[in-house]
This record gives sequence, C-alpha cells and structure tokens, in this order.
Amino acid sequence: MSSSRFSTKPAFPEGSWARSWLDAAQSRFGAWLRRRGPVHPPLTLGYRQIYILPTRFGWLVGLLLFAMLLGSLNFNNNLGLFTTFLVAGIGLLSMHIAHRNLDGVRVAGCVPGQAFAGDSLALSITLQDTKDRTRRGLVAESKGLPATAGVDLAAAASAETALSIPTHRRGWMEIPRIRLRTRHPIGWFVAWSWFWPEHKVLVWPRPADHAPPLLTSGSSDSRNRPGDESDEFHGLRDWREGDPLHRIAWKASQRHQHLLARQFTRPERDRIILRLADAPGRSVEERLSILARWVMQAERNEFEYGMDLGATTVETGAGRAHQIRCLNALGEFG
Amino acid sequence: MTLSRTTVMLVVGAFLFAALPHLAAMPPWLALAIVLAAVWRAAFELIELPRPNWLIRGFLTFGGLALVIMHYGTFWGRRAATVLLCVMIAAKLSEMFRLRDARVVAALGYFLIATQFLFSQQLVLFAYLVVGCALITAALIKIQRDADGAPAPDENHAPKASGAASVVRDGFLLMLLAAPFALVLFTLFPRLASPLWGMPENALDGRTGLSDEMSPGNIANLFADDSPAFRVSFDGPPPPRSERYWRGPVLWRFDGRTWTRLFYSNRAPERTPRPGPGAFSYTVQQEPSERRWLFSLDYPVRAPEGARLTADFELVNRTPVTTLKSYDVISQPDFRDSVDLMQTMRRFALQLPDDSNPRTRAYAQELRGRYPDDRALIDAVLSWFNQEDFFYSLDTAPLGRHGADEFLFDLRVGYCEYYASAFVVLMRAAGIPARIVTGYQGGFWQASDEYLLIRQSDAHAWAEVWLEGRGWTRVDPTAAVSPSRIREGARSALSGSEGWLSGEWLYQLRNQYDRLQNIWNRWVLGFDATRQQNFLASLGLDKLPPGVKAALLVVLAGLVLVPLALLLQATTKGRRRPDRLDRAWLRLRGRLRRAGIRPMVGETPIELARRSAENLDNGHELITLAGEYSLLKYGAFRGENAITAFGRKTSRWRPIQRNPDSLKQS
Repeated sequence: MSSSRFSTKPAFPEGSWARSWLDAAQSRFGAWLRRRGPVHPPLTLGYRQIYILPTRFGWLVGLLLFAMLLGSLNFNNNLGLFTTFLVAGIGLLSMHIAHRNLDGVRVAGCVPGQAFAGDSLALSITLQDTKDRTRRGLVAESKGLPATAGVDLAAAASAETALSIPTHRRGWMEIPRIRLRTRHPIGWFVAWSWFWPEHKVLVWPRPADHAPPLLTSGSSDSRNRPGDESDEFHGLRDWREGDPLHRIAWKASQRHQHLLARQFTRPERDRIILRLADAPGRSVEERLSILARWVMQAERNEFEYGMDLGATTVETGAGRAHQIRCLNALGEFG
Repeated sequence: MTLSRTTVMLVVGAFLFAALPHLAAMPPWLALAIVLAAVWRAAFELIELPRPNWLIRGFLTFGGLALVIMHYGTFWGRRAATVLLCVMIAAKLSEMFRLRDARVVAALGYFLIATQFLFSQQLVLFAYLVVGCALITAALIKIQRDADGAPAPDENHAPKASGAASVVRDGFLLMLLAAPFALVLFTLFPRLASPLWGMPENALDGRTGLSDEMSPGNIANLFADDSPAFRVSFDGPPPPRSERYWRGPVLWRFDGRTWTRLFYSNRAPERTPRPGPGAFSYTVQQEPSERRWLFSLDYPVRAPEGARLTADFELVNRTPVTTLKSYDVISQPDFRDSVDLMQTMRRFALQLPDDSNPRTRAYAQELRGRYPDDRALIDAVLSWFNQEDFFYSLDTAPLGRHGADEFLFDLRVGYCEYYASAFVVLMRAAGIPARIVTGYQGGFWQASDEYLLIRQSDAHAWAEVWLEGRGWTRVDPTAAVSPSRIREGARSALSGSEGWLSGEWLYQLRNQYDRLQNIWNRWVLGFDATRQQNFLASLGLDKLPPGVKAALLVVLAGLVLVPLALLLQATTKGRRRPDRLDRAWLRLRGRLRRAGIRPMVGETPIELARRSAENLDNGHELITLAGEYSLLKYGAFRGENAITAFGRKTSRWRPIQRNPDSLKQS
C-alpha cells in the first residue's frame, strides 16, 4: 500500500530555520528512541520497542462505528448497538493481535549488500520468531523507500527479506532508520518498531559507460610455467626421481605399467596496474568511475591487476575477492 | 498490489450476505441489478473481461441513484436510504480492483448489517448479525493478507492459512473472541433515555399495523399476516377469551364507504376509571407498527409514559412506534364511561350519509316499530344475524354505494368489518347512537411462558352503542354470526381454507418459535435506559457517580480482555496440527512406545530407529522408514503420493521384538 515514491527533494531547503529545527527534532526523537532500549540488530522486539496506532482505514472504521453508535443509541436499537460493540470488540482485539504479532520477533541480522552508485542496495534483514508463535505480514520499510513484501514466519522459524535502498553517490552511506511494521490481522491498526542497522555501507563508484580501452603493460609472454597443486591440472608425464610421492597417479600408472606423475601448470596472465593518474576525466569522480570500469574489464579479461590511487595502492591479484578489494578502495577514496 | 481471486469472492459473498434482507425488501428489479453488479465483479475473476471505464462506472452510479429516486421518490426515509446504500456499495463493488476499494466495501458491510435492525430486530436476525460480521471480518483478514502477505509461493507449499476456509474460520474466531467484550459494553454502556432526533417516518415498507380508518375490506390484508402485533404478560390471570378486546382507533364518521375518526375524540376523557377489584394489570410489548396507536383492554385507567388517553379511551403514543415498545397498562373493565351523551356527540353518533342504504333505513324503521326498547332492538338484530343465512368468510365481494343494503340483504357473506359497519349503519338508522371500534381480538396464550401473543391476523372491528343509563356498550355482531371467531380466534373461523403450508404443525412451530422471540424481546431488545438502571440498581451500582461508573466500565471491559488474551495465546500458538506425514510418524512412535521403547529428548527419528532396531527383529525396516520420513520432511517436496505411500507403509509396520526378556531388564 505505502508505495510512496522515493524522492530526494527535502521538504525544507537546506539551511533554512525550519530544516534545522526539523533536523534537531528528529535527532532528539532518535536519541529518545535509543534511550528506550536496544535499537541495533540483533535485537528482540519487546513492548518498549513496539508502537501502535490506527491506520487511516482504522480511523475510517472508527468514524463508521461512531455513526453506528449514535444511530443505535438514538433509536434505542439494541441489535444495532450490539453490532457496533461487536465490531468495536473486533477492532480492539485486532490491536492486541497486531501488537502480539510483533512482540518477540527478533531482528537477527541486517546485512547490507553491495552496490554501485545509482543502483539499489539490498539490505537483507533476517527475522526470527522467539516466542513460538506464527507471525504474519511483517513488512520492513524506511522513510521514502518502497516497503518490502510481507514476511510470514512459522513458529520458531526465521525468514529473510530484503529492503532495497537506492544509492546516489560513491562512498560511505548511512542506512536510514528502518521500520518493521505489521497490520495483521485486519489492517485497522499498525504496530511497528524502529531499528538502525549498525554499519555504514560502502557504495562503489559507478563504472563509466565509456572508458578508454585497458592498456596492457607489454609483458605478454603467455607461456605457462609449472605450478603446484593449487593450480590447474595440466596432464601426466613420466615420474622422475625427486617428484613428490603424492603426485603419482596410481590408477593411470597401473594402466601404463610404469609410474606416471600428475603435472600442474599456472597460467600466466597479463599484469596491469590501474593508475588514477592514467584515467582521463575532468573530475576525480569521473576518473574513479573509469577506474571502476577498468577493474571490471580487467577481471573479465582475467588480467592480473593492481591499483595505484596515489594515496592508496592495491597489490596485484585477480579473482572476485580481489575485485571487491579494488572497488572498496575506489569507494573509500578521498 | 492486486486482489486475489479468493479475496474478491469473499468480499462479494460477504456483501451479498449483508445485503440479503435489504434485497428481499426492495423491488425485485432493483435487487436484481445489485446482484448482477456483484456477480459481474465476481465474473472478472473467472473470465477475461475489460475493466469498466469511468463512463460505465458513472452510468452505474447515477443509474442506481435514478432508480432509487424513481421508486421511492426520496432518499430520505429508512428504506430509501438503505436501498441507496446498497446501490452505492454495489456500484463501488463493480469497480473494486484495488485493496482500498475492497476494504471500504467490506467495512460498509458492517454498516449495512446495522441498518437492517432499523427495520426488524427479530431473533433470526441475530444469526444474520453473527454470520454477516464473521464473513466481513474474514474478508478483511483476507484483504490484509493480500496486502502484507508473503509473495506468491510455489505451488507445492501453498500457504493453507490464506485459503478461504481458514480465513472464514479466523473471522468467526475473531468475532467469537470479541463477543464477551461486546456483551459487557452492551450491558453497561449508558443509554439515551430519549432520542436526540426522530426517526424518519414512512418506513416498514407499508407493512404497518392497524390503520386509523376503515372501509370494509382493508383489515383483510392483515388476516394473511401472521406476524406478531404485540405480546402481553399479565400480573395475574389473563381475562377470559371472550373479553380480550384490544381497543384501538374508534371511528365515528361515515361517508358511505369509509369510517374515519372524529376530531373531538382527541379530547381528554371526562372521567377515568378507578383501578379496583377485577382490574387487569399488564405489560404490552408492541412490535413496530409505524402508527401511534397503543392497545389496551377496556378501559385503561391512565396513559402509559409518553402516550395520551383520549375521550374514546384510545391510547395514542407521542411518536409513531418504530421500535419495539414496552408499556404498562391497568384496565378496569367494570366502568361506565359517560353518563350522558352531549348533543353534538349524539349527532355525530347518528350521522349517516344522505340518500344511502334505503333498504336498511326502512328495515330499521320497521324494527323500531316492533321494539321500542334499544336493548330489545339490538338483541333482535343479533339474533337475526345468527338465525338468517349470514356467513363469516374472508372470501367476499367488495361493496358499492349502498354498502349496508347490499351486505344485509344480498351478499350476507363477510367478516368483522362488514358486520360491524352494517350493524352500526342499522343502529344509526334506528336512532341508536353507535360507533365502530377497531383493534385486535383474542390472541394465543403461551401457557408455558404465560404471555398472550396477538398477531396481525387477530385484527378485528366491533361496534359500540350508547345506551341510556349504561353509556357506551360493546356489541360484537361478528360474535353473533360466528361465535367461534371470538371464542377461538380468526384461524378457527376460517378453517379449511388453507394449504398445508399454513397447516396446524407449522402453526404450532411458529408458536414455539414465538416463545423464543418473546424472551429475546424481553431481555435483549427491551433492554433500555430504564432496564439498565434497574439492572445496575439490582447490583447496587446505580448510586455511583458517573466518573466511577465509567471507570467501572473500563475495568470490566479490561477484565473481559484478560481471559481473551489467554485464549488468544492458546489459539495463535504455533502448535500446528500435525500434517499427514507427521501423523504417520507419530503413529509409528506410538507403537514403539507400546512396545516399551520411549523416544528420548533430542533424539532424531533415525537415532530413535537405530536404537530401537537393536531390540527388534524387523529393525532394519524401521530404520528405512525413519530415513524415508526424514527425507520427506526435510528434503525437497516429492509430491503428495510419496506421503501417501509412506503412510501406507507405516500403517503396516508393527515392531517384532527380538527378545522380550532383555527389554524388560533394560
């Protein structure tokens, strides 16, 4: 329902007195929330963290009930009155159920994923039931963000949901306060809890769409040199004195009537150092973007690459972990 | 977010159920239009149809408005307003594609149910209340699950909790849990002693009680109406059957066709009876009649609260009776209401339209000549009715301009109105002041619950003549023609003319049902400000200041919530019913337990099977079964057939013990 569009435009312009007052009020409110109990996951939601109010639909039903009450009282209509009280009772009960639906839910984890600037970042939230109750329709949302789909929890089970947070610029990003809410069972009341993910997220620079081709540093001798077991299996050759015993391919040796040893090679890759100074661009951000694109290309071309950003350097290497290391360095730059 | 098919069906179903009594009361073509709109919306879910655009929606809405205004001429008034509500909800329903709309439609259903009670609060409608509220709540639950539920899962593990059956069950449960709370509020919530605004009149769809005029032929439609008019419980024995004349409007003016009331009747009576020996004290529970008439035996001592006693001893309520009304009356039958008749009143009581009923006039003169004494003349007329070929029947012909002539000398077949009317004309022609009294006669005595049930079909009309030295005296010409009508009621006088549907057994059943209805009326519907005060007084709570009362209300409502919360704890606890697979395994474990092998805490099925196998001849089978169980339970879903096969295998397996002695030792 609350598909409020994400907007970057603040209600009050930066620097105005209203804005500063609002900011102060919000930070005080946040401080007050924090004083009431733990607010960082992992946390178990208890009565001190759970807030509850009627929804807009709930107010509407309240109005309807008031009309029913007035009419029934006026005409001394006892069945009408009973209907009114019955529906009011259902409402009151639904408030209690909404509270119970959240009470004892554990926000076990709140782990941000990775994203390039401009992409959405998936914040994975793990929810757990600690009170052996079935939970229904738990929704995580944050101000200005589309809410997650609802999560149902079986008794004593856990489930995961992901809040997608749009990113705008490279660098460390604060994750906003997150609201875990439920309108179970009939949507007249919304019970919610607030929590803050403890960690900031590093957003990578967006790889530039048009980057100059990657310059390989000449050393293109692609011959393979022998490697050890951590490298690729290459083939078999006759066993020679001095080869370790565990390299003997016993099964194959039996077939060939003499000892064979397994041979490994390490493929030689192009080495490259990506330098900030080499990247064209008017601003640092543009150049970081180009570097990010280069990192992606180098990884795709299976180069061995390192980075020199001036202040920081990254040793050469390859593979997914290395790529993340490089992108992190780009994200953190400056 | 869109509505699921089940949701739409539930909302449409709940709306149709809530609208059911309204649909039954509105013109059939309008009801059909509303049902069609609902069915149309449901059809969207089954077949591919284009969504209605704004033009169609506008047409539906304004078309509905036009239909209502065409038929009722107004939106004001209960029936027109509720029909309008139905039409508007149906219009909303036909364009219900968003969750918001579905919610609004469902919530308005509660309102629709409450408005039905403006028309009737019969006991059967309590079932309508319960089922209707549960269905609407179920629809709301389903809508909420659509809104915030987990996204559509794979078909193998479809969530059973969102199926229609489970949602309806939850709806009933929620309503059931809310019932104690509603009951406390119902008992303790302060009532208004007098209404803030009046009920719009022209309701009850013309299904009104006795009217305040009479032209022979118009009580007849009441005879077919078996619904209760009022119920009476006496403080003491009830009067004999032949004395149960429930006095209503008294009619003086006659224009040759229609009898109407006299303006002068609205005076206060010159003298009122004194309650003494032989007086009846009773409480009347009158069903809504839309009229201001209250009914009493001859002669009410004083008017009940909120009503007036007229010179003709009619009881007139200040406002039309639109809800169940309870009032206490004391009647003194032994009373002479007027010593002498004023000249003006005598003129009214002798007035006849000119140039009408010449044969009756001539016959009256002839009788007058034969019987100079008024009483002798009346007796002669009554025995004439009794001995000549006069018949009592509802199956008769309408009368023309000389109604009394036609009836007395040609037709001679009719019912109370015909006889009373002709009799009074005859009396007036003979110079005896006479008037017509309408009301009810008789009633069914519910011996077990000691109350008298008067139905609409007990409506009656009789005559009163003014006799020198006696005052107004009741004469019932119908009694002369058909004594059983008075002794045993309207039904007996008409026996043999009905089909099996209104047969005796049904009549008995209805009488039994009315006992429940009476209890319902007395304890539930009759619970008003006065009753509430009495109830609080009986608990000794009436003297408390209002603030304390309010606090008490809150505390009691809270107290009701405590067991409720506990109950909830039990019902929403994650202890789910074991499914087929678990049941099969539990059966197996039961067999092991009976063989002396108890599962230990924290033992997995396979561990249990391995341990048990040591003492069993067919232990390897058990281990296989345990392995299969683990695979089915924790592995990928392999279809319902695999579970069925597993169940079949487990039901065949019995532990065969290797060495019973060694087991006993362990």
